[in-house]
Amino acid sequence: MRLQSNGRNLAGVLDNLRDVQPERFEALNEEMGRWLPEFERILFETPKDGQRAILLHTREGHHKIQASELSHETLIALAILTLAYIPDPPPIVCLEEPDRGIHPRLLRDVRDALYRLSYPESYGEKRSPVQVVATTHSPYLLDLYRDHPEEIVIAQKIGQEVRFERLSDRDDLDEILGDAQLGGCMVQRHSGGGVPSHP
Amino acid sequence: MKLVVLSESPEDEAAVRILVDGILGSQTDHVAPPFLRTRGWSPLLSVLPGVLKQLHYHTDAEALVVIVDSDDSAPHQQAHPSPDAPSCRLCRLRALADQVQRGLTEVPNRAPLKTGFGLAVPSLEAWLRCGVDPHTIEAALIQRQDAGSRALRRQLKRDVYGTERPSQQVRMAHAVAEAQRLVQMIDEFERCFPDGVGSFARDVRSW
Repeated sequence: MRLQSNGRNLAGVLDNLRDVQPERFEALNEEMGRWLPEFERILFETPKDGQRAILLHTREGHHKIQASELSHETLIALAILTLAYIPDPPPIVCLEEPDRGIHPRLLRDVRDALYRLSYPESYGEKRSPVQVVATTHSPYLLDLYRDHPEEIVIAQKIGQEVRFERLSDRDDLDEILGDAQLGGCMVQRHSGGGVPSHP
Repeated sequence: MKLVVLSESPEDEAAVRILVDGILGSQTDHVAPPFLRTRGWSPLLSVLPGVLKQLHYHTDAEALVVIVDSDDSAPHQQAHPSPDAPSCRLCRLRALADQVQRGLTEVPNRAPLKTGFGLAVPSLEAWLRCGVDPHTIEAALIQRQDAGSRALRRQLKRDVYGTERPSQQVRMAHAVAEAQRLVQMIDEFERCFPDGVGSFARDVRSW
């Protein structure tokens, strides 16, 4: 079962994962508990015939929080984790701002989840690598790729055009970076990217 | 002793705590709030003054430890501080901490916060390789760093974790296991990294 692009069938995908690959579902639960320590488990309910919904069980108080009551951050984190742990993710995954609403301290985990998709052998997975394309305006997320400039493509808007440039193709990369953070360079526009230039 | 570690990640903190305990020969305690994080060198300089003030005025922390990666910066040498090496990260950290701590008002019944600073060339993974690879010693790494520290950092990751992109669980497991191994050979560890580990161990022993 594929996760729809708007994440609408997230509950169905997770329910299917629990039934078909319970060990993966347990691993996902464990990882979720590390990302979002207030929750300890994903639960399911059937609000109507033919519908499945998720609830998150809180570690303290043992409350069951319905998906509709969860924060945007929690739902995005859960969707990214689900993509990373399903056994057959789509060959290409495009994520618009996967850092949306996510606490900066969690961004290393988000990066690792994306790496789990695209470098499965590094995570003990046997499946084919997934091509992940993610956009971001977060200097914090960008900072985490300092050692992998080949994975960063700067999109520079110039009037009605957009110019794409792989960061590792820049001859002045080390000069740009120096002691600075990669994200700091983006904010200061040393490395370009994101801020439209007027024609 | 109540110890705070300012680090980039949980695994760095775990390794550093084990090293400090090994150098001191006794187990340190955590301080609430327990997890201070920095996002690398540049932000560290901005947050360190605030961290020192917070710990001094609002906690019962007794010591603060900070380990930084040298990345592409000049390595520390025992002859420092030296006007010839204004970019030495270790010296800059120590100077900043001294300056901030001199400006703090005395708090009754509170001893000045002890500090320990270490510089890993080019990154903490180099320390974790000590004793495993005889070529991974500070002097050799400083020479190899001249050819570009990014490639060296990536190589060290492959050497330590078997991949350049290890999971958090793998990073944590290796950091803890290697730190536990290193404290069993602390003298050799200091000899292999005299300016990074050696100066850090001297800081800690001076407490």
